[in-house]
Amino acid sequence: CQDELEEINENPNEAISAQPEYLLANSIKSNADVILGSDASMETTTLYVQHWAKIQYTDVDKYTVSISNIQNIWTNLYSQGLTDYNRIIEIGEQTENVNYQAVGLILKSWTFQILTDLYGDIPYSEAGKIDQTLTPKYDAQRDVYLGLLSDLKKASDLINPAGSPISGDVIYNGNLNKWKKFANSLRLRIALRIADREPQISKTVIAELAADKSQLIASNDEIAQLNYLASPNQNPVSRDRETRDDYRVSKSVIDKLQELKDPRLAIFANKTVDATPTGYIGVTNGLPADSSAKLGFTRTSRLGDYFTAPTSPAVFLSYSEVLFNLAEAAQRGFIADKPAELYNAAVTASLQQFKVNSADITTYLAQPAVAYNPANFKKSIGEQKWLALFSQGPEAYTEWRRLDFPQLKPAYAGVLDGKIPSRLIYPTGEQALNGANYKAAVANQGEDRLTTKLWFDVF
Amino acid sequence: QNISVTGRVTSRNDNEALPGVTILIKGSSKGTATDIDGRYTIDAASGATLIFSFIGLKSTELTVPENGKLDVQLESDETILQEVVVTALGIAKEKKSLGYAVQELQTKDIAEARENNLVNALSGKIAGVNITNSQGGMGSSRIVIRGETSIAGNNQPLFVVDGIPIDNSQLGAGSVGSRDFANAISDINPNDIESISVLKGPNAAALYGSRASNGVILIKTKSGKGTQKGLGVNVNFGYTFDKLLVLPEYQNVYGQGTGGAFSYVNGKGGGINDATDESWGPKMDGRLIPQFFSNGEPAPFVAHPDNVKNFFETGHTRTTGVSVSGSNEKLDYRFSFNNSKQTGVIPNTDISKNAFGVNTTYRLNDKLTLTTSANFSRNSSDNLPGTSGRGSSVMLQFLWFGRQVDTELLKDYNKGGFDYNWNHSYYSNPYLLQYENTVQQRRDRFFGNVNLNYKITDWLTATVRTGNDYYNDKRKFKVAYGTNGTPFGSYTEDSYIVNENNTDFNFNFHKNVSADFELDWLVGGNLRSNFNEQNYQQAPKLAVSGLYTLNNSRDPLVSSNVLRKQKVYSAFSSAQLGFRNYAFLNLTARNDWSSTLPTGNNSYFYPSVNASLVLTDAFNIKSNVLTYAKLRGGWAQVGKDTDPYQLINTYPFNQPFGSNPLLTVSDVLLNADLKPEITKSTEVGADVALFKNRVRLDVSYYNTDSYNQILRADVSPSTGYKQKLLNAGHINNKGFEAMLNVKAIETNAGFRWDVGINYSRNRSKVIALDDEGFLNDYKLGTNGVTVYASKGLGYGALFGSAFARNAAGEMIIGSTGIPTRDPNQKVLGHYQPKWIGGITNSFAFKGFNLSVLIDTKQGGSIYSATNATGRYTGVLASTLPGRDAEHGGLTYYYPGNNKSGVAVQIANAAAAPTGAVVYEDGIIAPGVTADGKPNTTIVSAERYYKGVYSNSAGINEASVFDASFIKLREVKLGYTVPQSFVSKYKLQSLIFSVYGRNLAFLQKKADNIDPETAFNTGNTGQGLESLQLPTTSSYGFNILIGF
Repeated sequence: CQDELEEINENPNEAISAQPEYLLANSIKSNADVILGSDASMETTTLYVQHWAKIQYTDVDKYTVSISNIQNIWTNLYSQGLTDYNRIIEIGEQTENVNYQAVGLILKSWTFQILTDLYGDIPYSEAGKIDQTLTPKYDAQRDVYLGLLSDLKKASDLINPAGSPISGDVIYNGNLNKWKKFANSLRLRIALRIADREPQISKTVIAELAADKSQLIASNDEIAQLNYLASPNQNPVSRDRETRDDYRVSKSVIDKLQELKDPRLAIFANKTVDATPTGYIGVTNGLPADSSAKLGFTRTSRLGDYFTAPTSPAVFLSYSEVLFNLAEAAQRGFIADKPAELYNAAVTASLQQFKVNSADITTYLAQPAVAYNPANFKKSIGEQKWLALFSQGPEAYTEWRRLDFPQLKPAYAGVLDGKIPSRLIYPTGEQALNGANYKAAVANQGEDRLTTKLWFDVF
Repeated sequence: QNISVTGRVTSRNDNEALPGVTILIKGSSKGTATDIDGRYTIDAASGATLIFSFIGLKSTELTVPENGKLDVQLESDETILQEVVVTALGIAKEKKSLGYAVQELQTKDIAEARENNLVNALSGKIAGVNITNSQGGMGSSRIVIRGETSIAGNNQPLFVVDGIPIDNSQLGAGSVGSRDFANAISDINPNDIESISVLKGPNAAALYGSRASNGVILIKTKSGKGTQKGLGVNVNFGYTFDKLLVLPEYQNVYGQGTGGAFSYVNGKGGGINDATDESWGPKMDGRLIPQFFSNGEPAPFVAHPDNVKNFFETGHTRTTGVSVSGSNEKLDYRFSFNNSKQTGVIPNTDISKNAFGVNTTYRLNDKLTLTTSANFSRNSSDNLPGTSGRGSSVMLQFLWFGRQVDTELLKDYNKGGFDYNWNHSYYSNPYLLQYENTVQQRRDRFFGNVNLNYKITDWLTATVRTGNDYYNDKRKFKVAYGTNGTPFGSYTEDSYIVNENNTDFNFNFHKNVSADFELDWLVGGNLRSNFNEQNYQQAPKLAVSGLYTLNNSRDPLVSSNVLRKQKVYSAFSSAQLGFRNYAFLNLTARNDWSSTLPTGNNSYFYPSVNASLVLTDAFNIKSNVLTYAKLRGGWAQVGKDTDPYQLINTYPFNQPFGSNPLLTVSDVLLNADLKPEITKSTEVGADVALFKNRVRLDVSYYNTDSYNQILRADVSPSTGYKQKLLNAGHINNKGFEAMLNVKAIETNAGFRWDVGINYSRNRSKVIALDDEGFLNDYKLGTNGVTVYASKGLGYGALFGSAFARNAAGEMIIGSTGIPTRDPNQKVLGHYQPKWIGGITNSFAFKGFNLSVLIDTKQGGSIYSATNATGRYTGVLASTLPGRDAEHGGLTYYYPGNNKSGVAVQIANAAAAPTGAVVYEDGIIAPGVTADGKPNTTIVSAERYYKGVYSNSAGINEASVFDASFIKLREVKLGYTVPQSFVSKYKLQSLIFSVYGRNLAFLQKKADNIDPETAFNTGNTGQGLESLQLPTTSSYGFNILIGF
């Protein structure tokens, strides 16, 4: 009778054990959906960094955050991506497949990087260990970044291209060399992130990485990205545009592209439906609803078709970003290379990424407004990186906070007394579910406000 | 000198013959009984006294007249002593022997004023029962007895028909675009019901085991028993029409737009604010503005005050029923057929019901009786009303609306191309939604049972019974190609198979063990198996328009299968020891073995004990004042299992990414060590009858604790999971119930006035949620506000943003002139009412019966999204104050005409500087600024209402209402045509009735809505009104003809 009862209660609907390749594909897609999705990008970071602007429902563009956006980013990254990566690592350990372990660790580190970039102090060392604690403590942002640097080093060392293969890899299709490059490039990104706070550590890590640049993402063919497919696996932006028309390209971007005669203008933005003098009109961020409505849907520029195509990729880390990071490291004296050359290479890589022809690239680089200015490297790199990271909401927003260029005007009717958000607030659920640790984090980091600066963001 | 006495015994109530009446010659043991026509013959001495007795009727003693003719009318005995009620497992018991409260309804309480959902028929009639109504007259109804005993689980009582549990699930409800599918008990045909007995808690229902902790609704269907005259044919014809009871009160001054501006080009942003679905636009004073119907030409911008009301129709329900019954020495039978067809108040909605039933009792011999019951029903609908989401809820569209829209023009939704509408940014034409985007449902159900009863000896009976409830419920969802938000349309099939089988046996020992003691002992066992399957398939984007099949898909099909099985074995026993027929002790014990719990915890035992003492008999009190008094009390425990597959984590599938199958770690951590939930309940009460039964009072007090509650508790996602299955919650419910029946007037001329009152109050308190004490709040539902079970508070606390106030309680107004919100979420109310009551006045005179039921719920709160939305969008009349000078708006201008700056109030337009645009829609919110000075900042009405009622940034407190109401629930007038008249036409009976239900509010505190609605029958939709469909009033008549 007991056996019969037990047998009846065996779940016939779901898998009892998981194959790592299915978990891997799932978790990559779920993270890609987060960084391009409504919560972490469309309704927050792409607006704050003024890549996009809202033409209707402008509250969020005025920095009135939606509680659910904030909660969803946290929930999706922690309870979906992270547990899948942990399980992949576990399976990798059980089956002695170092490559699953390494790939799991790389993607997990990337997830934590996004979380700490957005929120600051976060549960890290105790996160994802429900057997041990229901209330993981928050680690200081410094400790998180340092932990990630060491995890990524570990992952990079673990990878063995001659070892057991991995499947379900929808980024590099099982090419383990490229995974190693992704790990190193991510490490470069994080090392530079702390350059203003921990220049010594930053220098050591970057010098080590730059010693063999072939071990970094070294061409536009090696960009870490997920290529979306046709519906129903289309790009989240594409999915949004199938039925919604709430966003426009920000006036900040269009003005800058026009000022620089940037050939990427036609890629980043579409011409206005009704003919306008220059063909492109951006929308000022954070307009009151009545003013934005007056601007009109047909007299403002929609996001370029490149980004709204179903198969448009989710870029995790691009070649041009690697070059920008190296350029800055060189400028800071962390490595011996020539910053201007790396800067030009970075701009070129970005233009090539968007299929601009070489003649136009040469013309573009020749402009004084584009030329590298070592005296104000943050402006040169900041502005061009801001353009190169267009529509990569979270990363663009983070680097803009660190470099403080281009100089953006706060949302027109912003509610933060003339400030632009410096971070996201913690999700309200944390106060109820992890209250003591939440309070400790707030005590350490400063008030839980959008305007509280994070540790990495010195200036 | 003995003579042969003959006569006929009939009932005084209805003149029906009474078979089986015992007739005894007083002072002897000689007696007889009446035959099937109520006739008897007995030899007795002239002048002897005959005692006529029958259970439930008053014993009558009469002297034998000289001619030997003695016809007798017996009247029903209301001395309570003989009152028999149906208790657990269908066992009939004398009410006086019970240690707990039971309340019964009879057929006339249910069938005469028909409700489409059986649950609604109980409203206001039973103490301790809280019912929340269907939306739009077609959906689900929720019933909770004596408060929620389960924090997270099912709180609906168990429904039992003729001894066999019947499913009352509401499958597939709640998701956006879905429908408020009626709960499954609405399949039962009210005409087939003989009585409903409500067992209100664990004390009454312990024998039913696991599912009884929420109480049990026992339904006894009619059998052929007692049919003795005529053909035994009854025909019933009924007709009802439904009208809206409450519709939001709209404003008719301003039309579509924002900032006073509007001009239509394409309805999706091409014109001025023509994508806007709000009514902050120009005044509807006939000014000329291009509109959706005017092809770009200016057209008068005018109000259509009834544009929403006219969208709705009058609903009609037609019911026809036939039953044939008969009875002889060997066999009782009843066959019934019932058909009803309802069309709803929302265009193109309907429900058809067909129900067949056969009940037979076959007395095979003196000892063996076979009872069978078989019911088949088909419930089908071509389209059910939509309740949520832009694609299905018409009320959502009418609350985000342009008040100038003439809905009459929208009827032809194909005019000038598909989806002719006032807005193309968010909505499709509301008629298109009703006629094209339909949701069909068909539920075929078979339930019945076979019961074999063997009388082994006079004092020992054995019963074997098996019952089965099976249904197949299939839904088809169509979304048309070209629908706004779903350009390719979609087609979905969702089907369910539900089966429950119960097989049980028992031995019943009943004997007077001594002159004083009587023992009634039952021992038995039960095997329950449940099977539940869902098959969901969706063509998410249609390949070609207008064809609804799963093959017609441009994307891969989205599909899922869920199969669930469950088994419970039980052994149970109950014993009743009666002492001199005035003191009773009842004991029950049951052990369950459930498949849903882990080995080691899956066997659980629970006992109950209760006792009753009839004081008037025990102390031989004979008084004209105190006719009857009984004390009762008891304690019970019930164990409860959980749903299948809650023990071991598995990996759910996601839609494949290209050729990559996707699996993920489930985000709920299950629990391999689950223990059964335990509910313990104590109940005491008294029944008192005064003044020869003219006044009867029944009071109860109960205290119920439920432990080891199984909860899917939210945990910080940083643990890697969203939820963890806990097994620790504890909730307490205490309550008081009273029922008072007064025979106010009874005259010899036959006039009678009865008053029945019931009252109940329940207080719940969440004592604990988990052992570690880290969990303070368990989320039940959210929509604007969040409803929690919070430690230390009553179940169902509404949490949300509140107005920031200073110590003196004044609102703090921000620098923009809009009230600010308190940084902390606050408790804004509880959804549970403080008390519930009902009063029925019935009048009877010469075949006429009039009854009026008024019921009420007092206290309790509801968050109204209708109010929050309609005030944000400016469509409601309550947004008129401040919008112009006529409605108290103040005059102001913006320096430099900069609308982002701070406005300056002026006395009148003339006081404005040259060139300044003057506005007359200023509001100065009453309150103080952060530094305590009175607020003087003027803000436009639009910004004010949007600021307070914004979904994201607004203040929830402003949309929380007191849910108290008093409703004129039911008025019915019946007329029983006199026998003398009816007989002429060879009829047995003819009864007419007219009735109305949900007729009016006598009190209501929530604006614009019926506070008594549920979105679903679960715990998730309570206390939240989410752009619901209006509730309806019904008016109808019914004719019952007996042949």
